[in-house]
Amino acid sequence: MAAVTKTVEQVKALEAYEHGFVTDIEQEFAPKGLNADIVRFISAKKGEPDWMLQWRLEAFERWLALDEPDWANVDYPKIDFQDAYYYAAPKEKVGPKSLDEIDPDILETYKKLGIPLREQEVLLGVEGAPRYAVDAVFDSVSVVTTFKKELAAVGVIFCPMSEAIREHPELVRQYLGSVVPTSDNYYACLNSAVFSDGSFVYVPPGVRCPMELSTYFRINAAQSGQFERTLIIADAGSYVSYLEGCTAPMRDENQLHAAVVELVALEDAEIKYSTVQNWFPGDPVTGKGGIYNFVTKRADCRGDRSKVSWTQVETGSAITWKYPSCILRGDGSSGEFYSIAVTNGRQQADTGTKMIHLGSDTKSRIISKGISAGASSNTYRGLVSTNHKAANARNFTQCDSLLIGKTCAAHTVPYIEARNATAKFEHEATTTRLSEDQLFYAMQRGLSKEDAVALLVNGFVREVLQELPMEFAVEAQKLVAISLEGSVG
Amino acid sequence: MISLSRALETGDLSLLPSRRDEDWRWSDLRGLIRSVPPQSQDASAHGDGPFTAVCDESMLIINGGSARIHLAEGESKTIALRLVSRAVGTQHHAQVLIDLADGAQLTLLESHEGDGSGYISTTDLDIRLGAGSGLERIVLTAEAADVIAVSQAAVRLAPNARYRQTTLAAGAKRERNETQVVHPGQGASVRLDGAYLLGQGHTDLTSVVTHTGEGGTTSQLTKGAVAGQGRGVFQGRIVVERGADQTDAKMGHHALILDDRAEVDAKPELLIFADDVACAHGNTVGQLDETAIFYARQRGIPLSEARAMLTEAFVGEVIDRIEHEGARDVARAWAMEKLRGLA
Repeated sequence: MAAVTKTVEQVKALEAYEHGFVTDIEQEFAPKGLNADIVRFISAKKGEPDWMLQWRLEAFERWLALDEPDWANVDYPKIDFQDAYYYAAPKEKVGPKSLDEIDPDILETYKKLGIPLREQEVLLGVEGAPRYAVDAVFDSVSVVTTFKKELAAVGVIFCPMSEAIREHPELVRQYLGSVVPTSDNYYACLNSAVFSDGSFVYVPPGVRCPMELSTYFRINAAQSGQFERTLIIADAGSYVSYLEGCTAPMRDENQLHAAVVELVALEDAEIKYSTVQNWFPGDPVTGKGGIYNFVTKRADCRGDRSKVSWTQVETGSAITWKYPSCILRGDGSSGEFYSIAVTNGRQQADTGTKMIHLGSDTKSRIISKGISAGASSNTYRGLVSTNHKAANARNFTQCDSLLIGKTCAAHTVPYIEARNATAKFEHEATTTRLSEDQLFYAMQRGLSKEDAVALLVNGFVREVLQELPMEFAVEAQKLVAISLEGSVG
Repeated sequence: MISLSRALETGDLSLLPSRRDEDWRWSDLRGLIRSVPPQSQDASAHGDGPFTAVCDESMLIINGGSARIHLAEGESKTIALRLVSRAVGTQHHAQVLIDLADGAQLTLLESHEGDGSGYISTTDLDIRLGAGSGLERIVLTAEAADVIAVSQAAVRLAPNARYRQTTLAAGAKRERNETQVVHPGQGASVRLDGAYLLGQGHTDLTSVVTHTGEGGTTSQLTKGAVAGQGRGVFQGRIVVERGADQTDAKMGHHALILDDRAEVDAKPELLIFADDVACAHGNTVGQLDETAIFYARQRGIPLSEARAMLTEAFVGEVIDRIEHEGARDVARAWAMEKLRGLA
């Protein structure tokens, strides 16, 4: 009950989008537009070796030949890819050695967002509180990564992608593009050509990563896109939990965020990947502005008995187009997908997952909770498939949709492809509105209608919230309530 | 516009549905048809159809053609509609208009009977139900194994009309039975059932039910058993348009895969634009319950018979929902025969 009360207070105290401020700092940009020279510019800015530049140029060539996908249940004007900046970075002194050398405005930005960049700050508060390392990505560059030394002591590499390309080229060359090939899809291909930063994680064999790792993505510059690339490799028998968060200023224009996330889990390894996505959703009435979130996320459970768990709380973005997937290649491997997608105002979301069973005795579980309010549209789209050789594949899928209001839409589009006599796939879906009886019951006990809705929604999404690391679960719960603010008339 | 009929009519093979077309992703035709075959010649049929013994009157269409069934206000009939293909390597198209005046009641027993090989058969049915009328349509397919057969029905209901359909499909090289229903709500109800039993070949049961008005109900149950190298496809879409509140729609698709080379593809979709609705779907793909097989065998029933019994019970749920007694018996006999084939 305390959490619910807190949520309700939070809803009242805050504006609909609290992270919509702009940090006014000096930034440098690549020239506007997109061509091979821009790709070379980005590569040169990052001080990349020639093999990386060639990789990017090849991706760019392929991208030119691809068509923009139009099958998703979303509607937006054609994007002018030449009308954006593909590289934006805060002007910095050459190679800042410590936090003190970073622009204080940026530090202030992260303070306002509640992201601890000073390691001692993380330790403040209750003794024994869980710690988490942060990689802070500001537009196209990573400004700081905390706890690197402590992680290095156990062999964990946690650094910006640009640094990994320079410092650990053998790992990057081996794994980059091995899960999401450059030509996988239109936006993944674009990302391969122009990606600027992102996080790189390598957990050595048998190591349980001693703290939560997280990356915080912030779009600040106007008319720019963010194209980060994340690569996480969990070597045999290791474990890592990773969380990403994202926000952007409120602007009238649409900004593109096209990220690629690749996860590789080797034998007996486990990766837990959580996302709390809170990009600016656009004006709730006119639908003007907001982020186009076109993201490719995929995990390769390459080793036997490996496990990947995706948890996502999607509350922001004008348009979301995202299907975190698991390729269950190793025998006995398993994949999980827990999702809460909330749309309000004019938001459109087409999101779900793919579970591709290739190895024997593989298991997958999908729990998706969609909430639509206002004039928004929310689609679950998921694929569960098995091939002829994947014996004993098991899947359980549950997708529930909740509708709040007369003008919203909720869609469920599952694809099931079973090609084996030992496959067991179960899928169930429901679409309903909030129960009048339950609302009445809650209001009869003195809750206002808005509080009662918050209470019922929290109950509806509880199964997914339980999967998030504890401190983020509280955060996510607040976020869901805030996103639905104003949806009850 | 992508369409098999249009492609055959115009000779433009780029109009053929392919796996790149979302609604045909599991029933590709472009890879199968390399040229437009000549038109089928007139032929005569011999023998009776599967429903001849249980109907009031029988209509026969051989190698394409057109027909109209009209029932006047308050009229009630059971009509067998035989769509017979007697062709080798040719194509033909049938067009049927079914028009029920207010309060009319029709049981339509439709059989697709194939005798020949390598033909392409297309059928379009335009079905209109007047206020308070009722149509129970039982479709039984028995096409030749190496043919392409596509049947599409467009159904429009007036308020308080009842439309009930059961499709029993045995497959072909490519077989598709598509039903598009415009559901006005307002007391109208729809039941759309299907069963497919395949030892080889392909069958595709596709349906779209669009609820346009308040208070409509739809109940859908499809079951399938696929053995050998068979491939069963189920695509069901329920659309609830803005304002179609108090819609109650349920969709279930359950399939058994009996061999490792068999395949079942399913896409049960809900597209909902109204909030005061109760819509749900369930989909399962799996095997027969090993415990039940063990139980039967323990009582001296041989394995193949035990499997047949359990599969029959599994599919029987669909057959039990057929209201016309004679048609239900025909359907049950059909299922038994097919199941013996699968075993």
